[in-house]
Amino acid sequence: MNEMVIELENVHKYYGKVHALRGLNLEVTKGEVFGFLGPNGAGKTTTIRCILDLIRPNSGKIEVFGIDPQRNPTTVKEKVGYLPGDLKLEGDFSPRDFFKHIRKLRNNRREWKEILELAERLDLNLDNKIKTLSQGNKQKVGLIQCFISNVPLLLLDEPTLGLDPLMKQEVLNIIREQRQKGTTVFFSSHILSEVQKVADRVGIIRKGTLVEIASTEDLIGRSLTRAIVQFEEEVSPSDLDRVPNVEILRINDNHRAYTLEVKGEMNGLIKALANYPVVDLEINKPSLEEVFLKYYEEKEGEK
Amino acid sequence: MFTIFKRRLLKNWLMILGWGLGLGLLGYYLFDIYETFFQRDVNLMEVFNAFPDDIMAFFGGDVDLFSPSGFLHLEFFSYMPIVLGIVVVTAAASLISKDEEEGTLELIISQPINRLTLFASRTFALILSVILILAITWIGFYLGAHYNDFDLSLVELTRPFVSLFAILMLFFSLALLLSMILPSSSSAGFVSGFLLITSFFISSLARIDEKLEVVNRFSPLKYYQGGAAVEGLNTQNLLLMSGITVFCLLIAGFLFVKRDLRFGGSGGFRLVFPKKEQLEG
Repeated sequence: MNEMVIELENVHKYYGKVHALRGLNLEVTKGEVFGFLGPNGAGKTTTIRCILDLIRPNSGKIEVFGIDPQRNPTTVKEKVGYLPGDLKLEGDFSPRDFFKHIRKLRNNRREWKEILELAERLDLNLDNKIKTLSQGNKQKVGLIQCFISNVPLLLLDEPTLGLDPLMKQEVLNIIREQRQKGTTVFFSSHILSEVQKVADRVGIIRKGTLVEIASTEDLIGRSLTRAIVQFEEEVSPSDLDRVPNVEILRINDNHRAYTLEVKGEMNGLIKALANYPVVDLEINKPSLEEVFLKYYEEKEGEK
Repeated sequence: MFTIFKRRLLKNWLMILGWGLGLGLLGYYLFDIYETFFQRDVNLMEVFNAFPDDIMAFFGGDVDLFSPSGFLHLEFFSYMPIVLGIVVVTAAASLISKDEEEGTLELIISQPINRLTLFASRTFALILSVILILAITWIGFYLGAHYNDFDLSLVELTRPFVSLFAILMLFFSLALLLSMILPSSSSAGFVSGFLLITSFFISSLARIDEKLEVVNRFSPLKYYQGGAAVEGLNTQNLLLMSGITVFCLLIAGFLFVKRDLRFGGSGGFRLVFPKKEQLEG
């Protein structure tokens, strides 16, 4: 059985009259990269802050490595590295002094050499005052302080915010390396393509409730696939309509080009296409972003 | 704990040096002008004597303004609770809640330190900063007294500083407590500053208007001796002020440990009282 790192059970959190978390249940196991998705105000940051005991839930149970963060906050924080989504740093530090400060607070856990290596990888100057740094460079400071904590769990709230595409890639590489070392990574992001690249599992939160949780592959796999077929000659729509789990979205080129949506297995469609002269076939798997949007559209529609 | 304490103390070094040296120089200079104005210039004493008793009472209370202690009170200790009080109240109101407002506390508190340690470290660092300001000021006074052959022992010179420290700590703890309850550091600074100034005027005017004596009993500055402490400290007053200070600090610490951290956008910046489930946690 997989060791549980984060466990939330029926967690409720109110901000005055606003019900931010509505009976949230969540489990994250050891060594996985867990992507936490949701639009603004869905409860992602509130969840992370509850996990770290920065704010307290009104009811429900939270355990991190089997420890209640409210009862033993320091023990939990010794095991957790945290990057806030709305990162604010004390401006009078230089990154070098800031990392020294963090190392002291964490009892010098990490070799200074490793900090220098991370700074080099992320192209961060260690000697300028933090207040003079761009948002992207401040984000790098936040990321490095998190990675140098050398802990078994990283909580990253929007880790690539403000970074250029190259740096984003580098950060995703570091997250992958952390996973290889056995670190559990729980991260929220708006950029779903990034989550898709690194997350083993994905949780989708909507209005304070977890509406979906699955492995990234499953989530994408179980959704609709789009196929664009170009025939050599005209094909009657009724022929394709009969194919199970296939829906015609668009017909072009005098019934020679079809855009189809396929639910589940492609087998039925492939067999049906074998009866016709096919010039070109393009199959598009949806991105996580499309799945996510689809999910939200459906849920909004249900309302 | 020491890391946070040291960091906060280093952040205050300019404040310590600026206020300490400035007030120390003022103290040194005061002994010079005492010599000039009061011991040699008889006319000036006559001018002061010509002031109505009420005016003299407002500034000096019951002390003899021409004695060293009365002079020190009039020229320094009578208004220091206001001057240093504003500095202390502003610093205390910002001690934790300013970092909450600016968002810098989130990352610090996510490190493996408990909230009480953070609260205590910062509080002690600010208390030490106030002690250092008063110590540097005291050195200025000592040098002034020494070079002007003033008949004041070290203990006599130290007593009014003890009284000043006690009243400053009372307003410090009050401002810190208010910063844990009120929505912002500025509102905590405003309310505690208002209480400080109101207390100053009530205590001063109560010497003239007996009707204010009922209200004055609740005014912290009634229990402040100032220059009169040269003659001896009122232990009862000191204990009362220290008791209130400790009480306010304990409540402030308790609130900080028990309540949610406040974040912009989460509706956190409003009057703060821990909820039942937080108190049980």
